[in-house]
Amino acid sequence: MNSLFALLPLVIIVIASLLVLLLEVFLKKENKNYLGFISLFFLIVCAILYFRFWNEEFSYFKGSLVLDKLSLFFFFIFAVAVSFVILLSMKYISLQDANHGEFYALLLFALSGMMIMVSSSSLVIIFLGLEVLSISSYALAGLKRKDKKSSEAAIKYFLLGSFASGFFVYGLALLYGASHSTDISGILDYFRSSPELSLMATIGLGLVIIGFGFKIAVVPFHMWTPDVYEGAPTPITAFFSIGPKAVGFAVLLRIFLYYWRITPESQAIFWLLWIISVLTMLVGNLIALRQTNLKRILAYSSIAHAGYLMVAILARDGSSLLFYLAAYLFMNLGAFAAVIALSKKGKEYLELDDYAGVGFKYPWIGATFTIFLLSLAGFPPTAGFLAKFYVFSAAVREGLVPLVIIGVLASLISVFYYLRIVVYMYMREPSREIAIHLENPALFLVIFLCLYGVLQLGIFPGNILLIIREAINALPF
Amino acid sequence: MIEIFLVFLIFGLLGALLLLMNKFLGPSKSSPTKESPFECGSPYLQEGINPFPIKFYLVAFLFLLFDIEVVFFFPWALIFKDMGLTALIVMFAYIFVLVLGFIYAWKKGVFEWE
Repeated sequence: MNSLFALLPLVIIVIASLLVLLLEVFLKKENKNYLGFISLFFLIVCAILYFRFWNEEFSYFKGSLVLDKLSLFFFFIFAVAVSFVILLSMKYISLQDANHGEFYALLLFALSGMMIMVSSSSLVIIFLGLEVLSISSYALAGLKRKDKKSSEAAIKYFLLGSFASGFFVYGLALLYGASHSTDISGILDYFRSSPELSLMATIGLGLVIIGFGFKIAVVPFHMWTPDVYEGAPTPITAFFSIGPKAVGFAVLLRIFLYYWRITPESQAIFWLLWIISVLTMLVGNLIALRQTNLKRILAYSSIAHAGYLMVAILARDGSSLLFYLAAYLFMNLGAFAAVIALSKKGKEYLELDDYAGVGFKYPWIGATFTIFLLSLAGFPPTAGFLAKFYVFSAAVREGLVPLVIIGVLASLISVFYYLRIVVYMYMREPSREIAIHLENPALFLVIFLCLYGVLQLGIFPGNILLIIREAINALPF
Repeated sequence: MIEIFLVFLIFGLLGALLLLMNKFLGPSKSSPTKESPFECGSPYLQEGINPFPIKFYLVAFLFLLFDIEVVFFFPWALIFKDMGLTALIVMFAYIFVLVLGFIYAWKKGVFEWE
């Protein structure tokens, strides 16, 4: 249905970010915490609107902005991620000297970019959203202005990110040259109707994959990830590990769910993605074994998870991909929340040695962190297990047995470094004293909600599976 | 044709070879005097690259912003009669966002030079 309503949620988020940006310069320093609540309020309004839109498919701008069920589902993932990040950072940014009002404004700008990306079918509009997301991400990475590592992260992310955008645009140009369309469906129609494989279009598609490969951090385009994740303020790291990744996979899903059906089996693009997926799972997990910094461990773990998600793309199974992203959202944000909890004014405890004895000193943080780590490793009663199970069983159904064997072996490797943190927390004598700032209700709310999400998705996944199936079935092809 | 190409090839290779021989065989002794920039024999007065006020770059940023705004005005003016009210609303939304950015920059003290 062509209606201006399709534009409404996007307009609300943009207005919210502009309002927060303006209030930031007019509010006094001590009142800046209200900005977080204002952003949360607008997010909730927007989520309610989207909730109402679930059964009607609005579109606008002659179909280049479509609110189908898939984009609504992804929007809910982003909204939960961004609101959790806002809650996590309310105390954090004042404790760690990153309290600039731009924080929330930039987060909301990034959210609006992601909303544009998931709700459009034209690659040019997707590029527009990608740039809105990227530019605010670069600024967010460098928000601890007096910290050298944070500035390094920002400049690295900026250079490599803009390089990746260049790849994406070049690929888009080649695709347009071959198919005379920038629309995903138009490009796919060209692939279906052309009798033999067109070299130009295949290279174009490959370059588009490279561009998104940077965003979702798959090997060999992952080099920036550990440095950026380490340098950025920790709530922002949590956002990077779910937001840009989910949006990249949303676009890849839109392209490849249909692309596999119209092209013959086992051709170049398929093997390209196959190799990327295998490399990502192995390299991410193997390098994580050697890390001692918690943020770097989680960075490599997020690289490895991108590999598992890629298996879902190769298995042509949208629903397992969406379930994995939902599970990953809760377990990853929960793990980051526990890391953020272990900090005090001007100091974050990020080395493995700092975690010795934490399990007994702060039993609640230790216990919940353990559950999130077990979920990331994929142990049974948690969401992580079911997510991996759905992805791998979908891959076996498609006959990708070697890929699944490598994936299971890789996740076996990952158990070592996840459990090492648990061993440090419960079985090592503390070598140095740590004192943390405990008055942080928003953070504990996030930990509780993530715990709920991990257990709900792990034990009673029925409801969300129904929603996911509805979203996938509503796709036009 | 091929002769000219060969001439270029030979002399190019010869030039590269001589430069490389110079690099590898010649002795290199550096001293602070040798490393310093040459200013007609007189000692140099200041560093080659000076820090410049960062405010200038912010003003340049704003200038760029409003310069590009005008670029968007021209096509808008051409199709204004066909689109009518929609064009007006779209342009107002666009300027509204720009003005907000301008107010933000103003309040942040971009224009205070001292």
